[in-house]
Amino acid sequence: MAQQLTDVDCEWAWSAYEPAAQRPWSRRLAAHLYRRAGFAATSEELDAAVKRGPLECVERLCAPPPVPAGFEDTSATLAERTVLSGDTQHLAAWWLHRMLSTPDPLLEKLTLFWHGHFATSAEKVDKPRMMLDQNALLRAHAKAKFEELVRGIARDPAMLIYLDSTTNRRIHPNENFARELMELFTLGVGNYSEREVKEVARAFTGWEVMGDRFQFNAIQHDRGGKSFLGRSGNFDGDEAIGVVLDHPAAARFIARKLVRFFVFDEPAAPDPLIEPLARDLREHRFDIGRVVRTILGSNLFFSEHAVGRKVRSPVELGVGLLRALGASTNLLKLAQGLADIGQSLFHPPNVKGWDGGRAWINSSTLLGRANLVRQILAAPETHYSAGSLDALVEAAGADTAAKRVGWFLELLVATEVPPEVRETLVRFADDRGHSIADVIHVIATLPEFQLC
Amino acid sequence: MTTHTSRRSFLKSSLSSAALVALTPAVPQFFLSAAASAADAKGETILVVIQLSGGNDGLNTVIPYADDVYRRSRPQLGIPVARVRKIDDYLGFHPSMEAFSKLLEEGLLGIVQGVGYPNPNRSHFTSMDIWQTARRETPESGAGYRATGWLGRYLDRRAAAGTADVPALHLSSAGRLPLALVGQDARATSIQSLDGFKLEDSGNERVRQTVQEAVTAPRPDGDDLVTFIQRGTVSAIHSSHQVQEAVRSYKPEAKYPETALAGRLKTVAQLIDAGLSTRVYYLDLDGFDTHSNQAAAHAGLLSELSGAVAAFVHDLSKHGHGKRVLVMTFSEFGRRVHENASAGTDHGTAAPMFLAGGRVAPGLLGKHPPLTDLQDGDLKFSTDFRTIYAGVLEHWLGVPSATVLGENIKPLKITAKP
Repeated sequence: MAQQLTDVDCEWAWSAYEPAAQRPWSRRLAAHLYRRAGFAATSEELDAAVKRGPLECVERLCAPPPVPAGFEDTSATLAERTVLSGDTQHLAAWWLHRMLSTPDPLLEKLTLFWHGHFATSAEKVDKPRMMLDQNALLRAHAKAKFEELVRGIARDPAMLIYLDSTTNRRIHPNENFARELMELFTLGVGNYSEREVKEVARAFTGWEVMGDRFQFNAIQHDRGGKSFLGRSGNFDGDEAIGVVLDHPAAARFIARKLVRFFVFDEPAAPDPLIEPLARDLREHRFDIGRVVRTILGSNLFFSEHAVGRKVRSPVELGVGLLRALGASTNLLKLAQGLADIGQSLFHPPNVKGWDGGRAWINSSTLLGRANLVRQILAAPETHYSAGSLDALVEAAGADTAAKRVGWFLELLVATEVPPEVRETLVRFADDRGHSIADVIHVIATLPEFQLC
Repeated sequence: MTTHTSRRSFLKSSLSSAALVALTPAVPQFFLSAAASAADAKGETILVVIQLSGGNDGLNTVIPYADDVYRRSRPQLGIPVARVRKIDDYLGFHPSMEAFSKLLEEGLLGIVQGVGYPNPNRSHFTSMDIWQTARRETPESGAGYRATGWLGRYLDRRAAAGTADVPALHLSSAGRLPLALVGQDARATSIQSLDGFKLEDSGNERVRQTVQEAVTAPRPDGDDLVTFIQRGTVSAIHSSHQVQEAVRSYKPEAKYPETALAGRLKTVAQLIDAGLSTRVYYLDLDGFDTHSNQAAAHAGLLSELSGAVAAFVHDLSKHGHGKRVLVMTFSEFGRRVHENASAGTDHGTAAPMFLAGGRVAPGLLGKHPPLTDLQDGDLKFSTDFRTIYAGVLEHWLGVPSATVLGENIKPLKITAKP
């Protein structure tokens, strides 16, 4: 690494990236943008992106044209089918369809981020309708004001069921939601005491789920004065959320998480680097869309500190592969495949969501990722908009083994591979006995393929 | 014996010496001395850790049935005296733990009472980190990926011994390697099942070779993320060869219940019998966070735990491994003495740990925390969990515990004479 993260100038970091000689705009940087802001791009999309330039690309991602009615209709129909089936395993397939086909990939990516943040598992909330409602809540506020999202989550039946918080009685306040609200959703450990958890719990007394619906049970609500995080008052749940978000640690907590999700897994961003984003959140009432736009268009985002500095999550791997190749496949099988390599949508392993980063990598998942790519490519249900993999490669004019390898590496792999590895791949691709699917499979075993 | 011959042949068929030489310097030492390991496997002790995730309600596991405070605090959840499986005049097992009751009678079960630590933490993640790292304070998210676990640090020491087999194996359905097994260098392997544990290449030798070349080719210095993944990939491919070979034929000598945990322990028994020199196996059983309607869920889990462990211990014994395997269970905390308003219990503090195997110090160890001397409604711990870790490290795994635990801790005597 040419420059230590601690030496990065914080103003430069979040200023808008402008292509220059040392850091020209390119297909590679465009691919990086689409991989992070969405789920990867096709070769044609990369060509178009290169012509438009980074500013316009980021703008189009953050404020895309309205989604055509056809897409939402299809999604709604699939949702209804999922609900009718009563099978929570189908939820993942429903969402994968959205991720694959949506003209607003950033929205789905952010919804995925919030799904990991406000983790709730269908394993426990065994009702598709409830999980879909929560998902819709996350999507509705994904790019908007975070406070609204938290207020919504505090009333979300799926969340309250998951946290064993369907009752919260005045005499015996339920501490679960209050604890997770502060530890996991807004502040992080070390910013509050056990006593404060108890006080915040009192603010939410009477917030209940009855018959799968949220209701406010006034009789159970403790109207008395509560004192926490330096404030005192007869706070109810909404007001408590306001107090919590006013704590300076809240903006830092959210900013840090967004940086980790969009920019780099490691090392932990130094506090001074986070502070400008935290300030922005505080000054604009936690406007998530605004901060995300700043992040995606920034110098830091397009720098060597960010490109290839994240481990691809299973969802990014599976959906990314399909989107890049202009392909579709059996989404139920894909959902199961992603679950096998560590990410079962709607079934996060615990209330902390998915840790991400190096946690995606272990012996089982490494073999599993390569195997999954192989299975997707070999599946009869996998179809390409170009007609076939061969046709796709032909249309791109990649008529030699070297060109083919280069084309796929650029499309599918976030960082450069050593020349020796490229040669090994070209030799392999040159052998007539090996199909294009074989070549992609070998690429999928590379350490570099696991990066995003 | 056929097992040893088959091991030698598969050691030959896995990474050839030429490929091994081509591996980057970062590859752990134990890959390079494959041939040396064959004889080492005999007689080495093995630790099997079973993590009970969620916070096991110790008071309803090893029950102070004769205690008034217990009765008064648990009007709904208290187990009736008649149903308790008595251990002595004060304590007894939960009714669904028949298998542990028998194991205790056979002298194959030890129960360490009141296990916890000072300034108890009731957050699942923080307390679990404390147990897994054996450190009081856990590094915050920033350096989290650099944090090491107590077993990981043990593995770091052991890697220097130079064996070919996977030093530690984590069998789970979630696939995430527990922090306890994370070390600086040594690579514990996480697997979900033995079946899917291989690189699919439809037997194509060219694919296998190309993958080997492409994966092991040197990467530039300084990109530690790529190096980390590269090491993992090499390790994964190597481990999968070993594991496939190890379980081709095995006959269980005990009836394993039809539960997930029993199934995984049977797999461990197979691997042990196959002669792998893996020293640590790590499993988890989830579902202990019983905030509401605890009775049925807890009973089911305790039945699963005791049935599986007992079958495992008996099976190992019949195969001649009884005296070299130690099972240890732990949970991130116990639960509060008083039941809550939802027929459940909330996060608490101290709880018992179980030790099982042919050489455990059998019976009750340590002291039961008095229910009349609580702290904020919770039990005060009487045994620091690190003393058990120290006992395991020194007397079972045979390494000095001070470097692993970062402090001089007096080890608890957890084993009896052979």
